[in-house]
Amino acid sequence: MTLAKNGRLALLACALIFLSTLSVLLARRLNLGPMGPVPGWRVYGPENAAIQIYEFTDFACPACRGASETLAETMRVYGGGIRLHFKHYPLTHMHPWSMDAAAYSDCAGEQGKFAQYAELLFSSQKKWGEAKERPNEFETLALQLKLDWPKMQACAGSPEALKRVKLDMAEGGLKGVNATPTFFINGKRCVGSGQLLDQVRNFDNLLRKK
Amino acid sequence: MNGQTNIKNLTGLLARLIVGGVFVYSGAIKALAPAEEFAYAIESYKVIGPGLSLLAAHAVPWIELYTGLLLACGIFTRSSVFFTAAMLAFFELMLGQAWLRDLPITSCGCFGSAGSNSITEEFLQNLALLALLWPAASYRRLSADGSEGQYSSSLLPLSGDETVRTDD
Repeated sequence: MTLAKNGRLALLACALIFLSTLSVLLARRLNLGPMGPVPGWRVYGPENAAIQIYEFTDFACPACRGASETLAETMRVYGGGIRLHFKHYPLTHMHPWSMDAAAYSDCAGEQGKFAQYAELLFSSQKKWGEAKERPNEFETLALQLKLDWPKMQACAGSPEALKRVKLDMAEGGLKGVNATPTFFINGKRCVGSGQLLDQVRNFDNLLRKK
Repeated sequence: MNGQTNIKNLTGLLARLIVGGVFVYSGAIKALAPAEEFAYAIESYKVIGPGLSLLAAHAVPWIELYTGLLLACGIFTRSSVFFTAAMLAFFELMLGQAWLRDLPITSCGCFGSAGSNSITEEFLQNLALLALLWPAASYRRLSADGSEGQYSSSLLPLSGDETVRTDD
């Protein structure tokens, strides 16, 4: 009697464990989990904007450079209707310096110039993106923006800066990001400028609904 | 008397749902986030190294989720309560040593990155959850255990018994 009862309970427990595991794994795949926090310098637009965009980008990726221009134009057109959260996703196996670029950009952000540094990183991408030796561009760009270079160097080498980038990468991995740029627009995934533009065409409707 | 028993059993059910619910929520929210995020929080307690922290960060959210579910549903209630109490006691130990060593913990890791209370608040919250485990363990009639076997027809108590004994 007790054995049968315990057997039934064990079966019930197994069913619950199975279903909960499946639910969490599905929720991960369908991107239902909350997005991790983004440092303030990597967020643009009003908090309550109708369109929330999370962008996973690699500074050394040419497609990301193109998409950044599309996104900048979109932000200009839709202004206050969009909130953009920038997340790093350096493809280190393809671009040897993209991790450094991500860390330096955050350190520029700490000095209040993330957007400007990011823009310069994209525009000079060809010079440093696939350099064989450590490129000087990170310093040149920092000096161009009158940033405190020694402070930036110390910051980029700190575990905190590395942790920020690695957390973004881990989050991207969990959400199935495997190409850059990948966007999540109100939770909907799109990859590359083409799909981004497709989504942008719906923005008028989304903003009208609000 | 019967009314009093009803209230006690309802208290037991409510206690299980609260503690189980907190565990399910904290487990799920962490399982949905990158393990590295929780691993960094574990590292900040300075008890184990990065490798073990990552391992723990992969395992603990799922353990919390499963324990919370079993507790809330009242499956093997006594064992679930015991295991939950052990986990809470361990969390208290971690928080206590961090407080004593005055470690600069910015995120306790309790509920992922969704929000983090101070160490003192978390310590008190865990104490409250530990206290709730007492009625959860004592009044188990409204549980899957209680409604099984000899109690199969007694989802609501029929006699004046305050405590249901099960064989889990």
